Amino acid sequence: MTRILLIEDDTETADAIVSELTEHGFEVRWAPDGIGGLDRARESSPDALIVDRMLPGMDGLTVIEALRKDQVRTPVLVLSALGAVDDRVRGLRVGGDDYLTKPFALVELVARVEALLRRPIDSRETTLRAGPLELDLIERTARRGEREIDLLPREFRLLEYMMRRSDQLLTRAMLLEEVWNYKFVPATTNLIDVHMGRLRHKVDGSGETQLIHNVRGSGFILRVR
Amino acid sequence: MRQIEFIRSNTFLWTAAVAATLALFVAALFAFIYWKIDDYLVMRSDRMIATQLNFLAELPPARLNDAISDHLKQDSRGVQYAGLFDATGVRLSGNIARLPPQLDLGGPVQSVRLARLAPPAAHEAIVKAAGRRLGNGHILVMGRNVDEMREISSVVGQALLLGLLPAFCFCLLAGAWLSIRAQRRVEQVNRHVQRIVAGNLRERLPQTNADDPFARLARIVNGMLDEMETTINALAGVGNDIAHDLRTPLTRVRLALERGRTHAATLENLQDVVDKSIAGIDQSLAIITALLRLAEIESGNRTAGFGDVALDEILRQVCDVYEPIAEDKDIALCLAIDRNAEVRGDRDLLFEAIANLVDNAVKFTPRGGRVTLELVSDDKTVRVGVSDTGPGIGEGEREAVLRRFYRSDKMRNTPGVGLGLSLVAAIVKLHGFRLTICPTPGGRVEILAAARAMSRGAAASDPTRSRHASLAPM
Repeated sequence: MTRILLIEDDTETADAIVSELTEHGFEVRWAPDGIGGLDRARESSPDALIVDRMLPGMDGLTVIEALRKDQVRTPVLVLSALGAVDDRVRGLRVGGDDYLTKPFALVELVARVEALLRRPIDSRETTLRAGPLELDLIERTARRGEREIDLLPREFRLLEYMMRRSDQLLTRAMLLEEVWNYKFVPATTNLIDVHMGRLRHKVDGSGETQLIHNVRGSGFILRVR
Repeated sequence: MRQIEFIRSNTFLWTAAVAATLALFVAALFAFIYWKIDDYLVMRSDRMIATQLNFLAELPPARLNDAISDHLKQDSRGVQYAGLFDATGVRLSGNIARLPPQLDLGGPVQSVRLARLAPPAAHEAIVKAAGRRLGNGHILVMGRNVDEMREISSVVGQALLLGLLPAFCFCLLAGAWLSIRAQRRVEQVNRHVQRIVAGNLRERLPQTNADDPFARLARIVNGMLDEMETTINALAGVGNDIAHDLRTPLTRVRLALERGRTHAATLENLQDVVDKSIAGIDQSLAIITALLRLAEIESGNRTAGFGDVALDEILRQVCDVYEPIAEDKDIALCLAIDRNAEVRGDRDLLFEAIANLVDNAVKFTPRGGRVTLELVSDDKTVRVGVSDTGPGIGEGEREAVLRRFYRSDKMRNTPGVGLGLSLVAAIVKLHGFRLTICPTPGGRVEILAAARAMSRGAAASDPTRSRHASLAPM
C-alpha cells in the first residue's frame, strides 16, 4: 500500500485530504507541524510527501530542504496559499516536485499525487504503447491497432503525455502546465476541452471502444484497462 | 526662532563657507604679493648698498669724508647709514655711532644692529649693512634702513581690508537673499502639500514657465500627482467592482444551494446543485486569482525573467492554441508575419498578453468572421496587431476597457471576469511598450514595442498566409 505523509497545520483541510486520499487507497499519516513532520518523514520514509508551506515551528520549505540535504528523494507536493510565480519558483527550487495553490480541488490534489508517484520514466524507448495505441516517437506517427492516426504536432504531444500516464486522471490545470506550457489560467475556459475533443475524435473512431474519457468536473483519463 | 532657522539653513551656511574660502584665498594672494614685493625691495636695497660701497671705496682717501657727508645730505628720508672708522674702530666721519662688532667686513650685505649718531632717532635699529677695510686700514660701512617694508605691509593690509570686507558682506547678503527666497518657495510648496495630504487630491504645486530647478521640480511633482490621482481614483473604484463582481457568482451559489436543499429529491438533483455551486465558487476564485496576478504584475517585480523574446514564435504558438477554438466557431484565424522580430521582455507574460487579445477577439467575433494576428517590424519598432470582424470597441469605451472589471453591457453574458484587457495593459506597461485600441471598423488592438537587433534567420515569406498553411511544428 502506498504510504503518504501529510504535513499540514489546518485540521479541517488535513481531515478532508486524509479522507479523500484514504478513499483512493492510500495510507495517509498526518503531522500538524514542521518539526514533527520532518521527524516522521525521516523515521517512516513514506512514498510521497504533501507539505504545506506555512507551518508552525518550521516552515514547509525548510522541511523539504532538510530532507533533500539528507539525500531523501521522496517526491514532494508543496501546498500553499502563496501562488505568485516567484513563490512557485522558490518552492520548486528548494526541492519540491510539484506545487498546488490553495484553494484547490481534492481531485486535483489526488491527480497530482498520483502523477508524482508515477513520474514518467525517461525511457530510451522510441515507441510508446498503451492498449491498442502505439506512438513512434522518432517517426512521429501514431497508430490505433492497424489504423494510422493523423495528428498535428500539439495533438501528438498531448497524446504522448496521456499515454505516459494512462489510467490516471489528468486535470485541465496539469494539461495546461505540462502540454501547453501555460503559466496562467486562460480566459476561455473550454480551451482544453476543444483540443481534447479533436484528439478524441481522431483516437476513438466510430465503432471503436472509447479510450479518452471525460471525468465530470475534473479532467480527462486515457483508459486502456 | 526664525532667525536661527535662517542662519542654520543650508543655502546660508554654504554661502558663508564660500565667502570664508574666498576671503582666505584673497588674503593668501595679498600675502604672496607682499612677500614678493618685500623680497624685491630688499634685493634692490642690497644691490644699492653694494654699489655705493664699491663706489666710495674706490675714491681717494682725501675725498672720502666729503663724499660721505654729501651722500648723507642727499638722503632726505633719513634711511641711509654711512660711517668711516680707523683701524682701531674710532669714528672718523658719517652718522654711525660705533663700529658694529658683528659686521663681517668684506662679506655680503647683512642685517646688523646699528646705532645712529644724529637725529631723528638715536636708537639702535636693525638695518641692512656691509663694510669693507680700505687700503689705508680704515673701515667703511654703508647701510640702509629697510623699515619702509613695514609701511608697505600696512598699506597692503589696508587695501586688503578695504577690498575684502565689502566683498565678504556682499557674499553674505547674497547668501541670505538666496536662502530666504528658497525658504519662501519651500514654505509655499509645503502649504500646497499640506492641502494634498489633507485629502485635496486636485491640488497642484504652483508652476511657472521659468526654467529653474524649482519650476522643474514642480512640474515633476505635478506629473506624479496626476498619475497618483488617477491610480487612487481607480483603486477607489476597484474595491466596489470587486465586491460587485464577487457578489454575482456567490449569489448564484447561494440560490442554487438553497433551492437544492429544499427541492433536490434524488442524488442526481443534488449533484447538479453541487456542480453549479462549485462552478460559481470557481468563478469567484478565478476573479481573485486574476486580481492577485494583476497586482503581482503591476507591482513591477516581474522583471527578473526578462530576456530576448521572439515575438513571431509566440504568435505562432498562440495561433496554434486558438486555432481549434476559432474553427469550432467557424472563424478564420490568420497569421501574418512580415519578418521575425525580437523584443526584450518576459516570454510567459507576453504570451499571456497576446493570448488574451486573441481570446477576446475570438470570443467577440460572430460566426463566420475572421481574426487576424499580425507582426510588422522594422529595425526600430515591432508592432503586434490583433484585429477581428467583431463589433469592435466604441470610442467612448476605449479608455474604459482597460479598467479592471469593465465589461461592455453588450458582453455581460459572455463568460469571463473582465480583467483580460487590464492584464494586457499591465503587462504592456511593465515592458514599457504601448497599447493602442484602434478606431477601425471591427476590433483592432496593437502593441508597439522597441525591437531588439535581429540575430535570427530571415523573415517568413508570404505575409497573408492562412493559418492552416502556416502551422509550423512546435
